Amino acid sequence: MRFIFLTILVAILVVFLNPVAPYWVVMIGIAVLGALIAPNGFGGFMGGGLGMGLTWLGQCIYLAINTNSPLPDRMGELMGLGSGMTLVAVTAVLGFLLGAFSGWAGVLFRNLLQHTPENVYRG
Amino acid sequence: MRFFSFFLVLAIALALALAVSMPIGQIPPLAPLLDPNHGFWQNTLSEDELAVEEVDLENLSAPVQVTYDQNLIPHIFAENEADLYRAQGYVTAQHRLWQMEFQTMAAAGRVSEIVGPIALDLDRMTRRKGLAYGAELGLKYLQESDSETLALIEAYADGVNQYIAQLSDARLPVEYKILNYRPEPWSAFKTLLLLKYMSDMLVGDRDLEFSNLRKILGEAKLNRLFPQFPAANDPIIESGKVWDFEPLPVSKPDSVDYPTDAILIEPLPQPEEGTGSNNWAVAGKKTKNGNPILANDPHLSLNLPSLWYAMQLSTPSNSVKGATLPGALGVISGFNQDIAWGVTNATRDTRDWYRITFQDKSRKAYRYGNGWKDTEFRLEQIKVKGQATFVDTVVYTHYGPIVYDRSFKTERQDVDFALKWTVHQGSNEQKTFLLMNKARNHSDYNRALDHYTAPAQNFVFASRSGDIAMRIQGKFPLKWPGQGKFLMDGADPRMEWQGYIPNAQNAATLNPERGFVSSANQHPTDSTYPYYVFDNTYEHYRNRRLNNRLREMDQITVEDMKELQFDDYNLQAAEALPVLISLLGTHKADSPEADKYLKELKSWDFFADPNQKGQTLYSIWSSETFESIWRELSGARAPVVRPSSYQTVELLAKYPRDSVFDVKSVEGVETAEYHVKAGFDSLLVAMAKWEAEEGDYAWTNYKKTTIQHLVPTFKSFSATNVYTGGGSGILNATGSRHGASWRMVVELGSQMEAFGVYPGGQSGNPGSKYYGNFIPVWAKGEYLDFGLRTQGSSEAVLFTTVLK
Repeated sequence: MRFIFLTILVAILVVFLNPVAPYWVVMIGIAVLGALIAPNGFGGFMGGGLGMGLTWLGQCIYLAINTNSPLPDRMGELMGLGSGMTLVAVTAVLGFLLGAFSGWAGVLFRNLLQHTPENVYRG
Repeated sequence: MRFFSFFLVLAIALALALAVSMPIGQIPPLAPLLDPNHGFWQNTLSEDELAVEEVDLENLSAPVQVTYDQNLIPHIFAENEADLYRAQGYVTAQHRLWQMEFQTMAAAGRVSEIVGPIALDLDRMTRRKGLAYGAELGLKYLQESDSETLALIEAYADGVNQYIAQLSDARLPVEYKILNYRPEPWSAFKTLLLLKYMSDMLVGDRDLEFSNLRKILGEAKLNRLFPQFPAANDPIIESGKVWDFEPLPVSKPDSVDYPTDAILIEPLPQPEEGTGSNNWAVAGKKTKNGNPILANDPHLSLNLPSLWYAMQLSTPSNSVKGATLPGALGVISGFNQDIAWGVTNATRDTRDWYRITFQDKSRKAYRYGNGWKDTEFRLEQIKVKGQATFVDTVVYTHYGPIVYDRSFKTERQDVDFALKWTVHQGSNEQKTFLLMNKARNHSDYNRALDHYTAPAQNFVFASRSGDIAMRIQGKFPLKWPGQGKFLMDGADPRMEWQGYIPNAQNAATLNPERGFVSSANQHPTDSTYPYYVFDNTYEHYRNRRLNNRLREMDQITVEDMKELQFDDYNLQAAEALPVLISLLGTHKADSPEADKYLKELKSWDFFADPNQKGQTLYSIWSSETFESIWRELSGARAPVVRPSSYQTVELLAKYPRDSVFDVKSVEGVETAEYHVKAGFDSLLVAMAKWEAEEGDYAWTNYKKTTIQHLVPTFKSFSATNVYTGGGSGILNATGSRHGASWRMVVELGSQMEAFGVYPGGQSGNPGSKYYGNFIPVWAKGEYLDFGLRTQGSSEAVLFTTVLK
């Protein structure tokens, strides 16, 4: 559940924060969300990754379809990647990686602070 | 363990964030480029999708309305000129910021800053030519003598800078994102630099090549191959014009000692062949409606974003519309409520070379007359991306900068050549356009032109009151016949220019009897003009075709003028092909291919339309033949220039047994036939290869007209293989990389009727639907309606923005 919750919150963060802030500020934001919501490590990785990756994917596709612009194809050709579709995929993967490691780092940071009792007699 | 895993993942996240924020070699930082909210994805939005109703623009005295028509052509309505040009700067920057800046970076010799050491030689050459030096002098001139113009140029710069200040990452032009840099502030200096860039694009000289030719051929043969006037001279100012002025005296030295050593250095890059233009105006007596009609089509490199940007600029007292140059104020080729004007390049040798003799190795002084003159040193600091700044020391003489010396391009020779060029003199071209934009009549036009120095242009003019006129305007040095054709001895004061032709004595005409004025880069006048006006690149075909058509046309309409701009008739082929065919005789008569090609050539109507095969065959055959004729000459160790195609055809037709056709390396005596046959053999070889590799050899497939992005390696931002006809020496001068960069036809009736088009689009953004949307219109010879708009008109409005 927490993983799904994180995914949704990260997506919302990207939609509202990213237009006014560069990607690295968004990464910090995702880490904070990861720490606050605190799923397990894998959940933080996937929640941050899918939240950012899917949002970037959606934003690219939205722009490409709505504008019908030749630019994605032109950029794809320029970068030697063939078509604009490849660039959509590359953008989504990049978003996933940036979000995933941020989310995971956030979760691990929370774990670091969380005081798990040690050497306590549990009866 | 928890510490370890946290720091490991944190390290990965940081490393990742860092890696995608840095360039790797030529690859720009990935995250800023790909981020859908800031990166190139944002450049998929077209201007209409980003339209806003209001924009904050400071320093305006009243709100300015900008109405964009369906082609994204802005119509700016301002209360006064300062507001108007501030808005022009802002609006132009919105659509063309990267291009404006890139062109001025090129003119300033700063390309290395953007692309790295690959452009260092180019930048050194630009700086040694002194373009920025010329712009500095221009700025000084404005500061000292025309603060009014300077204030307007600064208002424009302020408009550009306010746009840059508001520019978000998302709206940054995509080229900045790819090349990973940001725009710097605009300035009045950059506007002046842009006008110098135009001079550099349009002005050439062949002094070094002619010096070599003189040595190789001797003066008599040189004059025969390069006569001052062609046999069929059809000049800009009509023949028989009476020059009603007392010319200034020019004294030729009794004896002239030209430096005679062969010059082995590589000459300056020349304006590309095919750079030229047409303009004309017909008087009411030749038109159907009785109104003058004016037409202009400048031929330049075909580039994206286009060199031109269409605009209407209105104040309560004036409305002007036409083609602007992003970075310069006002309209360059256009019309207002009362007049229309247009420009073609007035090629003339305004660039001369002097050999400098230094006193010693310190280069602090050089010989001049019986004494020595001091030099000045200018240190050019060239920033290079990814490397240390390169410092180039350029020595300045009173003539101008020493372009070639021991540290630049003279590896094989110890020489010092100084360049004297009108671009290095304080001048005020911008004022000409500011005044022309609001000219009402012929005397206003003349007053505007008096401020114009370089690049020299043939300014065509027509007014609603019925006048048509042409004036060849530039600052032209006063030269004795032959002066400046060859390298001169800088130590000899007799080699100095002896002043300048006064503006009032520049060749001009008003309402000539023949009912039209025209120019197509040909000789300015016939031989009766009292000044020496040499250039190597005068046109010999477009001008005659144009004047022949204008002479025979009557009851002319705007449609006729549009057709004439798109005229594909190849006069050179019409004159040369029968000569080639007759000289070929029965050569290769047994080859079926030869037979096929000859049949196609013989049935060709000499129109270089896109589907024509004859034009392709003629183009290859003639160029191979000319190549064969001049191969030995061009093969000389020192750089030379070839006689013109016109002169070559003259020789072929009239003197086929002339000694110029003899090839020394081949036994016997060769005549014209030898070269025509050799050219035909090359044609067969070339066609066999073409047919095997490419198949169709229709003209459009062969010439492959390409409109190239300003960064040639950005191939996918270019438009390639545009289906269109025309070619060099043809009125529709559209070759593979050059051609009509702007076409305009204006009928000056009670209401101005105007049509225009250029091969590009209003937007400089390769992601916008307005980036190349004019190209198909242009390629078909069609036009957009360019009529003046009124502020209240709501017809065909894309959107309106108020600046306040």
